[in-house]
Amino acid sequence: MANLICSCFVLLLLLSGCGWNDTPTRQNDFIPLTSIVITAVSPAIDSSHTIAAGTSTKLTATGHYSGQFTRDITDQVVWSSASPAVAAFKYSTTPNKGRVSGATAGSAALTATVGTISSPGFTLTVSGATISELKVAPASLTFAKGLSNQFAATGTFSDTTTQDLTFDSAWLSSDVTVATVSDDLASKGFARALAKGTAAFTATFASKSGTAAVTVTEPVLQSIAVTPASPSALSISTVSFTAIGSYSDGTTPDITAQVVWNSSSTARATVIGGVAKTLTQGTTSISASLDGVTGSTNLRVTGGDLTGITVSPSAPKLARGTVSRIIATGIFSNATTRDLTGVVEWSSSDSAKAAVTSTGSTLAWLNAVDNTPLTTITAKSGSITGTSALTVVSPTVQSIAVSPPSLALPVGSSGRYTLTATFSDSTTQDVTANSTWETGNSGIASVGNDDSDMANKGRVSGVASGSATITARYGGKFVTAPVTVTARSLQTLSVSTLPTGFIAGTRVAFTATANYFDGTSMDVTESTTWTLDKPYVAMLTDSQNQPGQVVAVDSGSATLTATFGSKTQTTTITVP
Amino acid sequence: MKRIGLTILAVCLPLFLCRPASAQHSGPYVGAFVGGSSLITAKASDDLGNFSLKFDPALTGSAVLGWDFEPGNPVGEGRVELEYARRSNTLDQVTFVEGGFKGGGKVTADSLLVNFFGVFHDVGRWAPYVGVGAGVARMEASDLQVTGQPLASGSSVVLAYQLGAGLDVALTDHLNLDLGYRFFGSTKPKFSEVNGRKFEMDYFSHTAVFGLRVGF
Repeated sequence: MANLICSCFVLLLLLSGCGWNDTPTRQNDFIPLTSIVITAVSPAIDSSHTIAAGTSTKLTATGHYSGQFTRDITDQVVWSSASPAVAAFKYSTTPNKGRVSGATAGSAALTATVGTISSPGFTLTVSGATISELKVAPASLTFAKGLSNQFAATGTFSDTTTQDLTFDSAWLSSDVTVATVSDDLASKGFARALAKGTAAFTATFASKSGTAAVTVTEPVLQSIAVTPASPSALSISTVSFTAIGSYSDGTTPDITAQVVWNSSSTARATVIGGVAKTLTQGTTSISASLDGVTGSTNLRVTGGDLTGITVSPSAPKLARGTVSRIIATGIFSNATTRDLTGVVEWSSSDSAKAAVTSTGSTLAWLNAVDNTPLTTITAKSGSITGTSALTVVSPTVQSIAVSPPSLALPVGSSGRYTLTATFSDSTTQDVTANSTWETGNSGIASVGNDDSDMANKGRVSGVASGSATITARYGGKFVTAPVTVTARSLQTLSVSTLPTGFIAGTRVAFTATANYFDGTSMDVTESTTWTLDKPYVAMLTDSQNQPGQVVAVDSGSATLTATFGSKTQTTTITVP
Repeated sequence: MKRIGLTILAVCLPLFLCRPASAQHSGPYVGAFVGGSSLITAKASDDLGNFSLKFDPALTGSAVLGWDFEPGNPVGEGRVELEYARRSNTLDQVTFVEGGFKGGGKVTADSLLVNFFGVFHDVGRWAPYVGVGAGVARMEASDLQVTGQPLASGSSVVLAYQLGAGLDVALTDHLNLDLGYRFFGSTKPKFSEVNGRKFEMDYFSHTAVFGLRVGF
């Protein structure tokens, strides 16, 4: 009951909150406007209250509300001149509302009015001074394509006064394909760089002109975005980063190859050409720099630190001229193990006798080139190594046998035959990858026989209903095995469940089972298409060679999708 | 507000040292409560934007008419009551884009709620309770002002609710002392600004109450 009471009080406290404390958006129009004051935006004119005939200046109306606050009400007031022939308000829209133009020499009382409240008269004197010089500032400017800049025109008059004539001048660019300068009333003197080159801007007022030399350069890099943003990756793996530059002209090219890559902690990960190789767990900042601009993102390395490597088989004995899969397994500090076959450096103590061919991904093949009593095969990652002792002999083949004796496959699924050779020294060896495989009827069943895809040699796929004979040949001998392919109607697809303890670095081999309407079921893991939506939570180790095998990367939830035939099954994978 | 709280504490402190004097009452009862209410700074909105209203804490009073369930009642141990309460808080400050301005006037909530309280008689010397209530409230904005200038007025009937918790002390067979807290809220009341616009405001309050219930 005490818990219930406490819960109720916590609920009450949560409900109570602290009240509304956001920024108000409503203006106070309850307190009445009591006075209006006119000022000139130009300090010089605000001081002298004088402009030259033919020029204009911007005025501001400030409302005073009962002594409580003030507000710029330039756009709300009604502007008027007591002597429109001397000075008049020609513009009624923002941003030029409040701009007064001097017509002829004389004085005019200007007022701003809201309702019954009017400002005291702002007496503006329009002088008869004539312009003697017009200057544009900046006089020269180099700016990059895509950038903009505001230019100003300042006139010097016969009475030695100066006045901002940016608004009153006519603006012109000598080459509008290189750079433009606005002559619109709302944006006079505003320049944009359009293309590499040079141009001249001319401001003209009355009979005087001023110019500015403009040079437009190639677009400049303004920022770099490094993607993926804040990824997580397992130790002893690679992450490919991309650098996208944002240039002043709005383009965003891929500049991965141009930038200089850096890792803030080379103990965690190194990065070359945007490809980071992770080493030990922790976080490092991956940065890309070019032309003084740097972009970065954090890379979180998970899965423990590599403490050892085991190579299997550890002491293989192979017949000369054959190949065999060889696997390097990493042992990590968080008590997990992981397949590192595709990422370790393989070497042989005698490459004339034996060599390792790594095809990337998770596959490596041990090639028994010539007879040797002992050749050491080494897998290396950093300073950590693992070895295998290989013996190559030249026995003669006594017999070969295929297993299983037969296959029964639904259309669209696949199964595997394995071929084992028995040699004259009584040893046996899996020679599936070294054999030649044939199908008696490719319209019924196909069989993998591609030397460039040895992992799929002996893999039989059901094409259409019927029977076919698969033949395997090795060492001058052959053996056959039947395949029966039947058309079954797929009812459901089920996926194995996630075991507990799925921490970063842990591997789980999911299996997919097809359940048919005739009550039969079949493991279709290899024929299933597997996808994972969040590679920084969990990733498929190798969808081609290890379908369904998932390794945890970092905390979070991801969705594993298995698709076989017309059925799709999803499973939520949670990494604590 | 602080003085009210200290007064309530001073009056009630000796009672905490007592043991319940009598057996648990069941049947009808009436009660009266006094206390202090503090409104949470409210968001007010009209078609020109949002502004905030901050109120002063104020005294509150309520009267209840209810029924104590007998011990072992299949619906649970507790009570159901009809409560009338009045909360009237002075507008202290109104904040617009330009800043905060002194407020004036009052917002008064007259509420009529049906409350359900569950009482835990087996705790020991005291009987804590929690409960909920729902009903209606009439909200009245009386001459709300900003620095002396009229802001809004009017009234609005809204749905109201409250959550409550407290301690019951049975002083005699028919007399209970009740020390409680109420969180009171309502749907947004709408009032008319002086310029004719409608505005609506949040209304949430914290209330500490102290009262006596007499059973029959």
